[in-house]
Amino acid sequence: MSRAPRAAGLAARLREQWRQNPKLELWLAWWTMVVFYQIFGIVFVLMTRVMPPPKPWWEPERVAQWFADTHDGLVWGFGIIFLISFMAPACNALIGYSMRRMSVSPVFAYSYIAIYSVSAFPGMLLAALLLCAGALRPDRDPQIISWLYDAAFMTFVGTMGLFLVGTAVWMVAILLDKNRVFPLWFGYLNICNLLTEVVVAPAWIFKAGPFAWNGVITFWIDTLVFAVYTAVFITLLRRMTVRDDLREGPLPETPQLATTASLRF
Amino acid sequence: MERHTDMRSLDGERALFWSLPALILSWVLVFLFFPGFFPPLPPTMSADEVAAFYRDPANQPLIRYSLIVFNWFGIGVIVLLTLLVMQIRRMAHRTPILAYCYLGCATAGPVLFFVADLFWLLAAFRPERDPQLTLLFHDLAWITFTSPVCFLIGQCVFLALAIFLDRQPQPVFPRWVAHFNLAVAVAIAPAAFSVTTLEGPLAWDGAVSFWLRNAAIGLWLVVMTLVLGRNVLREHSAMEAAA
Repeated sequence: MSRAPRAAGLAARLREQWRQNPKLELWLAWWTMVVFYQIFGIVFVLMTRVMPPPKPWWEPERVAQWFADTHDGLVWGFGIIFLISFMAPACNALIGYSMRRMSVSPVFAYSYIAIYSVSAFPGMLLAALLLCAGALRPDRDPQIISWLYDAAFMTFVGTMGLFLVGTAVWMVAILLDKNRVFPLWFGYLNICNLLTEVVVAPAWIFKAGPFAWNGVITFWIDTLVFAVYTAVFITLLRRMTVRDDLREGPLPETPQLATTASLRF
Repeated sequence: MERHTDMRSLDGERALFWSLPALILSWVLVFLFFPGFFPPLPPTMSADEVAAFYRDPANQPLIRYSLIVFNWFGIGVIVLLTLLVMQIRRMAHRTPILAYCYLGCATAGPVLFFVADLFWLLAAFRPERDPQLTLLFHDLAWITFTSPVCFLIGQCVFLALAIFLDRQPQPVFPRWVAHFNLAVAVAIAPAAFSVTTLEGPLAWDGAVSFWLRNAAIGLWLVVMTLVLGRNVLREHSAMEAAA
């Protein structure tokens, strides 16, 4: 009985936010970020079984078997990724905005947005395309299927520099910032995420052990660090959005909102 | 002084705008001349049939020349997208976030068309190769061309949002442009799942994933060029009248 009025109440509140909220652009980007990472987790962990990854030492026949077993999860899961990855630019835009809101030069925001726009293809979509090609024809020669498998996991795990340099750009901006957009400790936490891209490098050399693409260090520790880092920056970006007064200069704890836009492109 | 620099930047925009009809013409020519599109090659073809398609002496020049033209000019769509970023910049927003979103789609999206073009050209480069390897590049080309529609959808969704949030007496674009973009996004979206099947409307040669999707992209290209042209040329003549 009480559900319908409550739903109507929620719709009315959302409509009110849509019409009135002066920080709507920031909140839309922030919610897009939250939804994107949830879907990303569901697809990569539960549907496509890419995380945690299958074994790098498998023979071609065993790899072909993995594609056969995972076929539906791969094609539908990556279908979802092909559909919703437009949300990633919203994440990059919000992080870019965080740097524009700082006291530093816009060069940081623009470098970050450019680097992360480039990263979408080698870092994620290429692996998805290669795994879809592997799943498309179960009767393909296992040697070729094995090549698709290696290419997919190594581009996914082994795309390092874009995230290394991108994270470094954000870190330096945070450490130089005088507007106190983020706490200083988050600047240093970026070093942890940056280091995951350093320690993943041996995956290009080892096919078994802690440094292989499924290894304790290369996969498990790196993924743990990435998950903590992501949860932290999503929380801190929410905090930034709450504090933002849409002006330039130091970020206040309780904002007095500007009436006109002051920060331009 | 201020007006002088504005004038100069709009002159540049007008020059770039006039490259767009040539861009559209090149896309149409590629689409008509690439022999893989009329009719689109079905994913059910065997490796030998696919190899025979690339080995056919009647097909070879058409495949190569049309893909070389697309290699040259396909990426030119970034000019259209960047001109649209400039329009978003002029909207009455509180932050530059939507312009950044659009710029992200503009840089990440067209590279997918480009990579698909490379895979097709590679399949055609040495057609006497083992048919299994030709089939591999052929599959990668078709999947890359058809499925990753995310940034095309993003272009439509972020522009629609930007138009809805452009709250001023004289908005940059009329609201029907937002609704048109959302409709295009809906038409393009199902192609994301083209890899789930080798037959039917969702397959890469199907009514939805090929014809509906590509018709929507073509219509989007023409309509957005027209509405953009109206703005770019009108801004220019308004600036000239003021000068």
